[in-house]
Amino acid sequence: MADRLAIETVDLHKSYGGVEALRGLNLDVPAGTIFGFLGQNGAGKTTAIKILLGMARPTGGSARVFGLDAAAQPSSVAIRARTGFVSEDKDLLGHLSVDQTIRFTSTFFPRWRRDQEQHFRSGFALPADRKVKDLSRGMRGKLALLLALCRGADLLVLDEPTSGLDPAAAEEVLHALVAAVGAGETTAFFSSHQIAEVDQIADRIAIVDRGRVAVSGGLDDLRASYRRIQIVFDDVAPEPAFRSRGLIRVVRNHRVLSVVVSGGAEDLIDEARSLRPVAIDSEPLTLKEVFLETVAKGE
Amino acid sequence: MLWYKAFLDTRGRFLIGLALLPCAAIVMVLTYPRVAALLPTVSGIDTSGTLGQQIGEAIALARDYRGFVWSQWFRQTPTSTGALFAALLGTGGLAASASNGTLFMLSLPATRMRLMAVRAGSGLAQWLALALVSSLAIPVSSPAIGESYPLVAALVHGVCLFAGGAMIYSLALLLSTVFGDLWRPWLITLAIAMPVAFAEQVAQASSAIGLSPVMSGEQFFRTGHLPWAGLAFAFVTSAALLYLAALNFERRDF
Repeated sequence: MADRLAIETVDLHKSYGGVEALRGLNLDVPAGTIFGFLGQNGAGKTTAIKILLGMARPTGGSARVFGLDAAAQPSSVAIRARTGFVSEDKDLLGHLSVDQTIRFTSTFFPRWRRDQEQHFRSGFALPADRKVKDLSRGMRGKLALLLALCRGADLLVLDEPTSGLDPAAAEEVLHALVAAVGAGETTAFFSSHQIAEVDQIADRIAIVDRGRVAVSGGLDDLRASYRRIQIVFDDVAPEPAFRSRGLIRVVRNHRVLSVVVSGGAEDLIDEARSLRPVAIDSEPLTLKEVFLETVAKGE
Repeated sequence: MLWYKAFLDTRGRFLIGLALLPCAAIVMVLTYPRVAALLPTVSGIDTSGTLGQQIGEAIALARDYRGFVWSQWFRQTPTSTGALFAALLGTGGLAASASNGTLFMLSLPATRMRLMAVRAGSGLAQWLALALVSSLAIPVSSPAIGESYPLVAALVHGVCLFAGGAMIYSLALLLSTVFGDLWRPWLITLAIAMPVAFAEQVAQASSAIGLSPVMSGEQFFRTGHLPWAGLAFAFVTSAALLYLAALNFERRDF
């Protein structure tokens, strides 16, 4: 079934004038997962999201959602009928009230979840009669999330869903997101700069760097494969010449060699033992460290 | 609900127009007794130049109430309040900057063509209401000065005003799919429409086709015949501009 991958992009390219925003993005998002989409500013996250929802057209490659071509008009409408979206700016219709916005949005979605609407209305304490333009950024973020979650969507596409929210509100939003995905067959695809948030809720991640996926996979697998190995010598550390696969970076600092690998840690440790160190210590990298190593490697 | 949302997008401008245009028409009607009283005192005007001919014609038209209404209201609208409000209703909307809810609208399961059609339809309906209400304010207020103005004539002029204004509206909407702000489409539209209408008036072309001849209903005023060719020209031009707006909106990246 094509829907086993909620999102699939193959060699996706997008240029704005002479600027390449995406340079061959390959992405597989399995259905039913919480997928974190990480990257620096300008890495191409928002562009990819816009292409998935038919807001921008690719200049090369393909993007499919639920197996449907995101660039074709009829299938793009079908994709959006099954997708909830929160934009980075929590861009809503400022001149409508909260109540009007909810009623307006619900008319487009036959599977609108009234029960969820009531739940989030009271949970988020949204003022029904207040104009959206008069809401705080946090409130607007919560309303945007309500509108996405109540669509009865098979896919949630969330571009920086917690940006601008205070920690309590961000936590509330993340809980709502996990609950929504946990309760049904929904897939959540969300971009974020908040690596701790991604670490907290994502099953799988992709780190995009300058328009390409630099790292992708299950979060547990990444944690297991990305390791920092400290090799301590009793005198000045020798010039390293490791041949193990997955070597990302080696830093030599007097008596210590600090090595970062994305896999094959055991092979590297075997290699290091031949250098007769006094101690070897191997520890997993945090997601933040994986991100920084990946981005630093790219630079 | 999409129609209601489209109505809300331009509601403020529409309501201002609905208050201002009929009021301006009524004020024009109420000034007629004073103008009529002054007319016998006007004499010895040099009508040799273009400007003199214009003044002479205006004075001649003002000797008759219907002529006064046409020269002071319907003839002026292409270069005054009518053009302003038609352009104002056409600006903004879906293609405006992202802070206007554009991405939210584009995330809904509706084609861009449908979104544009509703936006255009809603704005044109508002412009039709402004054109008809302001025109009908004339026969309604005329008895207050002891005059009468034919209801049918007001309706025909209202339709002509609408048709001519629809061209201005459509141009503004097209420009709104190019520029992300409210003001550039509005200013550029006026910078095109007003000089064109003014030039047509100064040239006093006998053609029934053009912005000013259509919007002022000049053929209907002078001959009593409906300006079918002018109306057809206006509707075809509007349709073409709206189609271009839809195409541009369709192909744009956001």
